[in-house]
Amino acid sequence: MKRPYILLIEDNDDDIELTRRAFAKNHILNEIVVLRDGAQASAFLFEEQREGRVAPQFILLDLKLPKISGLEILARIRKDPRTALIPTVILTSSKQEEDLLAGYRLGVNSYVRKPVDFNEFVDAVRQVGLYWLMLNQAPPLLGE
Amino acid sequence: MRHQGSLKATLLRPDLGDVLERITDGFFALDADWHIVYMNREAQRMLHTDASCLGKVWVDVFPLAGGTAFEREYHRAMAEQRVVQFVEFSRTSDSWFEVKAYPSPDGVSVYFRDVTDRIKAERDLAERTEQQQALVEFGRLALSRVSVAQLANDALELLGVYLNAPVVEVFLYDQGARVFRVIASHGWNQPAHARSQMPLDQPVRQALEDGHCFRIDDVANDPSIIGRELFAASKIQSGIWIPMGSLAEPLAMVAAFVEDPGELTPARISFAESVATTFGEALQAWQSHHRTDEILESITDAFVACDRELRITYVNARMAAFYQVEPAALVGRHVEQFLSEPDDLHVLSAFKTAIAEHHPTSVERYVVSMERWFDVRLYPWGGGIAAYIRDITKRKLAELRIRQLNADLERRVEERTRELELANQELESFAYSVSHDLRAPLRAIDGFSQALMEDCSESIGETGQGYLKRVRSAAQRMAELIDALLQLAKIARHELIRSPVNLSDMAKGILDELALADAQRSVQTRIEPNLFVVGEPALLRVALANLIGNAWKFTRLRRDAVITVGSSPGGEFFVRDNGAGFDMHYADKLFGAFQRLHSYDEFEGTGIGLATVARVVHRHGGSIRAEGRVGEGATFYFTLPAEVHRTR
Repeated sequence: MKRPYILLIEDNDDDIELTRRAFAKNHILNEIVVLRDGAQASAFLFEEQREGRVAPQFILLDLKLPKISGLEILARIRKDPRTALIPTVILTSSKQEEDLLAGYRLGVNSYVRKPVDFNEFVDAVRQVGLYWLMLNQAPPLLGE
Repeated sequence: MRHQGSLKATLLRPDLGDVLERITDGFFALDADWHIVYMNREAQRMLHTDASCLGKVWVDVFPLAGGTAFEREYHRAMAEQRVVQFVEFSRTSDSWFEVKAYPSPDGVSVYFRDVTDRIKAERDLAERTEQQQALVEFGRLALSRVSVAQLANDALELLGVYLNAPVVEVFLYDQGARVFRVIASHGWNQPAHARSQMPLDQPVRQALEDGHCFRIDDVANDPSIIGRELFAASKIQSGIWIPMGSLAEPLAMVAAFVEDPGELTPARISFAESVATTFGEALQAWQSHHRTDEILESITDAFVACDRELRITYVNARMAAFYQVEPAALVGRHVEQFLSEPDDLHVLSAFKTAIAEHHPTSVERYVVSMERWFDVRLYPWGGGIAAYIRDITKRKLAELRIRQLNADLERRVEERTRELELANQELESFAYSVSHDLRAPLRAIDGFSQALMEDCSESIGETGQGYLKRVRSAAQRMAELIDALLQLAKIARHELIRSPVNLSDMAKGILDELALADAQRSVQTRIEPNLFVVGEPALLRVALANLIGNAWKFTRLRRDAVITVGSSPGGEFFVRDNGAGFDMHYADKLFGAFQRLHSYDEFEGTGIGLATVARVVHRHGGSIRAEGRVGEGATFYFTLPAEVHRTR
């Protein structure tokens, strides 16, 4: 996997589809790699053969994930030097304070609550994509 | 002693005769037929006889001994051939003899000596011991402050018994009439009116002056005796009079009369004086303490006074009633005897400590058998200690009940707290799930409805588009409801960290935001400045925002909308509007979750706002109420106490 891609760690099919649609509506056509639970994400990020693979441009991370929670994945991303600098955005239904706090404490770059209103959701995705894909100066990629 | 050969022969031996004459004891010998065969001079002297008695039968010489212990014992010695020894009063010599009789087959040898003095001394001692005991008893009685009449009666009895006096009298001095009046007497067969009083004349005056008693023998003929004809009709010979008090202040007098002047021995007179002294002291004490007594008897506490050795010197009637005895029965006994409860050691040691340290103290005492508590207050003084005992069972039971209640309450609070903590944990995880899981499907409903409208608008048609709009708005409204519910739940969990809050500033900020978001509306706002409270700022803001938001919302149809935030003289804060108002009939429904008095089309809302406000106010320990009229507006009053216990 050598082309730039967005990593979406999300278990809900509806949300995956809506997220893809939101990106499409914002003309963000980057490849989206979807990992459906914490274990998959963990394997993809830290264990699998990473030869010749580039890091994702940014990670969209849901918090409520089967097997390994989103916050745990976040902690490991930040702990592992190979992934520590990848922009990671929490994209989740909850805006529970404790989640927000824990997310920022673990070094998340943004915390976006998925709005129920799809138009608002599209808007949120647009802002995230715009910022992390275009405005933000990406860190030098590690492990290359 | 063994007799060899015939008794007579032995006795007639010249050497032995000398010996027998020289012994100081009386000695005589009887033969088997009770003839006197020998009697030494000492025996002759003691028995008032001479040598002429020899050869005569013993009982014929001493007829007064016939049938007495002397005869019985000599016969017994002879019959049983056994030495006998006894002490007996001899009427022949008017003396007490200690006798030893040695039998032999042909007679009895008797040694005896006069022990009258010893016996008298013994008798005196016994009598005095008895008198002393009687005096102690009498002293106790006197100290227990029974009535004067009872004390007088006891004195009469004592004198009658120990002086062998058939007639005794007790007088009290009558200050006004200057006479001693008889208040009690024993021995007169009929009321002795003639002797009912005695003037303060001689020899009473002299006796009072000297502090002694006086005695008159031949009372029937003494001119100073009033009513002496009464004595003339009796066998009474002598009398003693013991006045009490001083010549300046005569108090009382006792008198005792005997048939035999010899009865009035010095020992008995001194006993009589002791009785009189005790009686006099008791009388004096009774008179001077009469008021104190009345006080002691009237107070509700039981009272006991002890000397330094903790012997009871006085108890009041209440104390005696406690033990169901007369007060006199407790006097003289040791306090320890009444401290037999399991944990009375500390009571006793409190008595001792109070006396030792001369410091008042108090101690509680539980009497198991009665199931009652007593408060014992101890006041030491020079001569001993006074104790006031009060039944505090009621107070104690109340305390216990309260303590139990408190313990119970604490336990229940703990339980409730644990339950609440559990419930909160459950609520938290519930809220967490709701926040995540309930919203996701709504997002799908809304998102795919939107997708349908966008991607398939032609095939769906306009009606279909309308339906999809309704689907979307329903989903969004449900999301709002979920958020409102979550906020309501959050308020319950929110920790109360109080700080001073300026409600006026807060209200202004909220109204400014509303005005900014709803710029086309013109609402007149009146905010009383400097409404300070102490509370959790975030929660108060939620509450105030809901109340002001409602006022904003419900005045939407009015052109002259006015929203007022202020405080009433009663200390209540209020938010008032002149909007749609409400029917007071439904006032109690306002603060329930999901209770709405307006349709969603009329005024949008979740029906949770006022429930949230109420919860915030209640968590601050305050209360909330509403007043309103349909079409005229509503006022929400709430209180926020400055100090309340934290509920968590």
